[in-house]
Formats: sequence, C-alpha cells, structure tokens
Amino acid sequence: MPAKNYAATRYSGLTQINAQNARSLHPLWTFSTGVLTGHEGQPLVVGETMYVVTPWPNVLYAFDLRKEGYPLRWKYRPDVSSNALGVACCDAVNRGAFYLDGRIVYNLLDGHTVAVDARSGRELWKTTIADMGDGETVTMAPVVVRDRVIVGASGGEFGIYGWLKGLDVKTGQIAWTGHNMGPDADMLVRPGTFRAPYDGGVDVGAKSWAGDSWKSGGAPVWGWISYDPELDLIYYGTGNAAPYDPEARAGDNKWSASVLARRPGTGELVWAYQFTPHDNWDYDATGAMLLVDLTIAGKPVKALVHFDKNGFAYTLDRASGKLLVAAPFAPVTWAQSVDLASGRPVIEPAKQTGVSKGKVTGVCPSLEGAVSPASPPAYSPRTHLFYTSTNNLCMDYGAAHAAHLRATPYIGVDFAYHPGPGGNLGAFIAWDAASGRKAWEDKEPYPSWSGALATAGDVVFYGTLDGWFKAVDAHSGQLLSKFKVGSGVVGNPIAYRGPDGKEYVAIYAGIGGDWALLAGDTRSDDPTDVREPAEFMKDIARHTSQGGIVWIFGL
Amino acid sequence: MRRLHLPAALGCLAALAACARSAPPPVAGASTTPPAIAYEAHVAAGGIAPAGGVLKNPHAADAAVAKAGEQLFSAMNCDGCHNLGGSGWVGPSLGDGRWRYGGADAEVFSSIYYGRPKGMPAFGGILGADGVWTLVTYIRSLPLPSDVPTESWEQP
Repeated sequence: MPAKNYAATRYSGLTQINAQNARSLHPLWTFSTGVLTGHEGQPLVVGETMYVVTPWPNVLYAFDLRKEGYPLRWKYRPDVSSNALGVACCDAVNRGAFYLDGRIVYNLLDGHTVAVDARSGRELWKTTIADMGDGETVTMAPVVVRDRVIVGASGGEFGIYGWLKGLDVKTGQIAWTGHNMGPDADMLVRPGTFRAPYDGGVDVGAKSWAGDSWKSGGAPVWGWISYDPELDLIYYGTGNAAPYDPEARAGDNKWSASVLARRPGTGELVWAYQFTPHDNWDYDATGAMLLVDLTIAGKPVKALVHFDKNGFAYTLDRASGKLLVAAPFAPVTWAQSVDLASGRPVIEPAKQTGVSKGKVTGVCPSLEGAVSPASPPAYSPRTHLFYTSTNNLCMDYGAAHAAHLRATPYIGVDFAYHPGPGGNLGAFIAWDAASGRKAWEDKEPYPSWSGALATAGDVVFYGTLDGWFKAVDAHSGQLLSKFKVGSGVVGNPIAYRGPDGKEYVAIYAGIGGDWALLAGDTRSDDPTDVREPAEFMKDIARHTSQGGIVWIFGL
Repeated sequence: MRRLHLPAALGCLAALAACARSAPPPVAGASTTPPAIAYEAHVAAGGIAPAGGVLKNPHAADAAVAKAGEQLFSAMNCDGCHNLGGSGWVGPSLGDGRWRYGGADAEVFSSIYYGRPKGMPAFGGILGADGVWTLVTYIRSLPLPSDVPTESWEQP
C-alpha cells in the first residue's frame, strides 16, 4: 500500500542495507516516465512486480523484477482529460496506487477511480467520483479497507464542497459520500455516535461558517488515509478553508484543516479534531496521520501523530481524538502555543489575516507549510523517532476579495515568501512525539519536499529539491550516502525485497507538485513561457530541471 | 451538486460596459458569436493559408479599457492561474511576450472566448464578446520585458 502499512509509518523491516554498509549504495536501474511534471507518491512492489503511476496522464506501468532490465509486463494508458490540468491547483501530480487481492486501484486527475487487474493490466472498472465542472480533481492515493475503496478530491483553491467517498471494491459503485462540512446529514453524523472531544453540537459543520459559506468552503482531501483495524476507524486530514480571505467565512469553519475519523464500511463520522480553527493562512491538514503506540508520561497510548502545515506536531489519542502533545517543529508566529485543555491554538492577533487587515507580514510558516502534506513522515519502532521533511519559509499575506465562479480558482491572496530564521529554506528532522522534541536536524538549502522512509537497518532515506537522494543514520542524522538523481525529489522512498532476495530502495525524481518549487525559471519545457526566478529561491534552477525518473538503488 | 454563485464581478461587468463607453459591436454584423479566425503563426500546408474571419478589437490601445480589464482579470479569477499581472503560475505567463496560441488581439480573444486545451476555460459564455475584448485590451497593455533567453549563474 502507498504508506507501506495501514498505520502509515513507512517503516520497512528489512535489514540488509544498514548504517554500516549504506555507504556502498549505488544506482542499479532507472526508467524515464516520459512525464515532466512533479513525481510525488511512490512505486508499489507486490511480489515480483513493481507498479508505477505517473502524474497526468496517469499511465500505470508494471515492471517485471525477475528479468534483466526489468522489462514491462504491461502498461495501462487511461483516457484522462487534459482539461484537468487547468483545474488542478498546483500541478498534475498523483500520490500513488493501492494493491489488494489482485487489483491495483488508483485515481485519475480528471475525477475518476480505476481498478486494474494486477496480472493482465486490464481495466476492471472505472468510476466518476469527482466533478471538474465544480473544481474537483483527484491527486490522492486511495486506501482499500476490506470491501471499500476510500477516495477524496482536491480543490481547496476552487471552493469545492469537500468530501470523502467509499466505493465498492468489486464494482466501483459509490457506497457512501461523507462531506467534511455542512449539515450533519451531509457529514454522515448519526445521532449518538459522533463524539468530538472539544467542539460538538448539532450541525456544527454548517453553523461554524457564516451564512452558507460552507457550501464552497473547500476542505479537500488530497493527502493520506490511515486505518486502525482494531478500532475500525479510518483517519484523514482535510485541507484549507476557501477562500483565502477568512473574513468571507466567519466562524471556526469546521471541519476544514482538521483530522476526521470515520467507519470505513458506512462512512459514519466518529470524531473530529480541528488543528487550525478559522484557517487564515492556507494551513491544510492533509498530511499523513501516523498510528503508533507510544508511552507518554509513563502510560501506553494508542496515538495518532501528525505534522501540520501550521508548524505544530500533534499527538492525539486516536480512539477519542483528545489532544496529548502539541509542540512547534519549525518557526511559528501565527500562534503562541496550543492549549491542551481546550485543544485550541493560542492565536497571535497581529498575524490574523483578512481583506480589512491589508498585508500581514512575518507569518511563519508560509502557506507552503512547515511541512508539505505531500511529504509523508516515517516512524521507526527501533529508535521511537519520527522522521520528516520540513520547510523554513515565512510569508507576507494580503487577503483579497474573491468571487466564486464555478471551475475557476477561488483564492484571493497576494503573498510573498521569505526565508525563515537561519537562512536555510528546509531541513530533514527526527522528532520525539512523546515529548514533543527534535532529536536531530539535517539542514537543507532548499525546501525539503520528499517523503521519508525508515528501515530496520537503522537507515533513513529522503530526497532533496536540488536532486540528491540521501541515506542518513537513523540515530544521528549523519549522512551515509548521497547520489544526484537528475531532478529534484518530491516523491517518497520505498524499500523492498526483490525476487532475488536482496533489499532494494526505490525513489522517483521529478521536481514539481507545487508551482512555487519551480521558482519560475526551473521549467524549460515551453518556449512560450519564460519567467524570472522567484525572489525567495533564486538559484534552484542552477541545480535541477524537470524530468520524471524511477531510480532503484542497492548494495 | 451544482452551484452557480453569480460573482460580484457580473455587477462590475455591467459597470465596465458603461465605462468602456458605447463600444462598437466586436464582430462584423450583430452576431455575438465571432467567426473562426485563422491563427497566423500556423504553418499552412502546401503554403496555402485557409480562409478565416477577421476580428478587430474595438478597444485596441484604450488605456481606460485596459484598466477595467485589469479589474476584470482579478474578478474572473484569471489571476488564480496566471498570477497577478499575468506573470504566470499554473497557467503560462502572459507578460513574457511569448505565446502558445498567438499574441495578436484576435488570437488572444480566441483563447479567452473559447478556451484552450490543457485547462484554459472558455470565458465567452459568461463574459460575452465585449468582456473578452476588455481582457484582451488589458493583456495587450502589459509591459513586455526585454527578452533575454540566456540565464547565467556565473560571475562575469
């Protein structure tokens, strides 16, 4: 599955590649996907086959790992509308596929979910799940739980009415749709079963929005879904509230910028917790929810750990949604702290935005987030540490009026980024979620946008925006090996055991996924579109350009 | 679920029509649907260009209309894709003097009115011909950079 396991820890139990021998890692195989946009997500290895989904046009490749050169067993080329390129806010990315019982299930940018026979590559079903005419596209990786395929849509920049859907894995039929805001009936809130630990009440998903602003309030689902089989709950984060002018939607705007827990079978909402009430800064909470059993203050806790765009790392009780730990993992100026009793951030009034506030300067983190939700963390049960990419960017934010016009951007902001304290634009960190402390940090010159992988060999892997693929020591962060992979890395590493019994590590190269990362001058694919370098990151184009490549490394 | 939020922009569009004075009809005749136009940068097979209609911008180089077009550029959320000032974001830069589908008035009109592949929506329906000409007038008023194709990181 996309995150290795339902707990989304991106931890591999393989040990052949370890801190002692990782220095001799070297590339063994590469494949050009033929696509130039951002290569988020990760390959999927099932048995003797590696599956790769490209960004739009969402080609699915199946490589035969038994044969020299890993020739294709088949490829599947769906008919995906190019119009989706203008409805996807931030790039034509795809965050990966899920395998279950002989089926590969993944999403197409233009609003479809497909199931493909893993052996033959034949399409089993294709379901329309999202409406581009309403500003919806689909970039996230689905998760399959028993007989349900769980999917959501992007569109926080288009004023969608955000939702999560459960499809029948055999037929693709939509079994349930649960909205992320709106009246209880739309949210699949059933009397007596919804227990929000801090803010409940009838129809809170509609009443916490001025007027009917919830109808176009965004709260998209473009990140990751995790699942606890024991509690039978799926967990996912919702994106920003729309539009970017918070004065257009007074109230908490529940449940945007939140984590929601639902029953996979019926979609029923069980609990919800909002990280950023009344989102003023585009702080999506779509980053991964890692399900880990921790010991906090001497007590065992079934925890959910989440690194938010807003700069705080949260540890919740995943049965109840109660907040246990919240501490900043990057520079934060919009709030002073998070109050554990109320679960609410202690807001810094001077950093509140809105049309009436004009340009608000010095907001940290920037709207790129202290970590991108596209960059999922990893957790090692050996070191008890969480590993994540981070960004060190602050911003000036000037909200502007925006009109909601179907299938056009519903944004309304003038913003500029500035490097955060220290001058490095990113870092890769190890985090102790029980205490809320950083264990170590590897500074990076550019925003760090790749996912993390931790292995039982005590090696942690990540990639950088300037195109290095790195292996570091899980205990110390010390660099063990690095290799320049041809384009900036925004994808997620995986480890797997090949048919020959050897351990391999795979990663995508392919900068993109967010137009700010391209810094204006990184693209050279269109002679009719030539831009100046972005002020905050003037020289990234000196170190990388576009290009989608699958890399496999080994000893 | 279908929604149409009539934007405040429509109100301002009515005002724009007024501020653009009583512009002559954009197309020959009273039809609001412009004829297909030839795209001058296409290479004509056999050296023979196909016949095409002619579109003339009724507001060409009118600074007041360009100013109104700048407001319309935000009101129609054009800046959501092409960035403020048309400097480019998900959609291509409109201020670099380079054009996928031609930069003459009629070609820019055609791009906005009917849309283009890879995501440019068709705005002719909501804006009508005069609204689109207002945008064309703004886009054509953007200052062109001196086009320097070389970018160097070496110290001279």
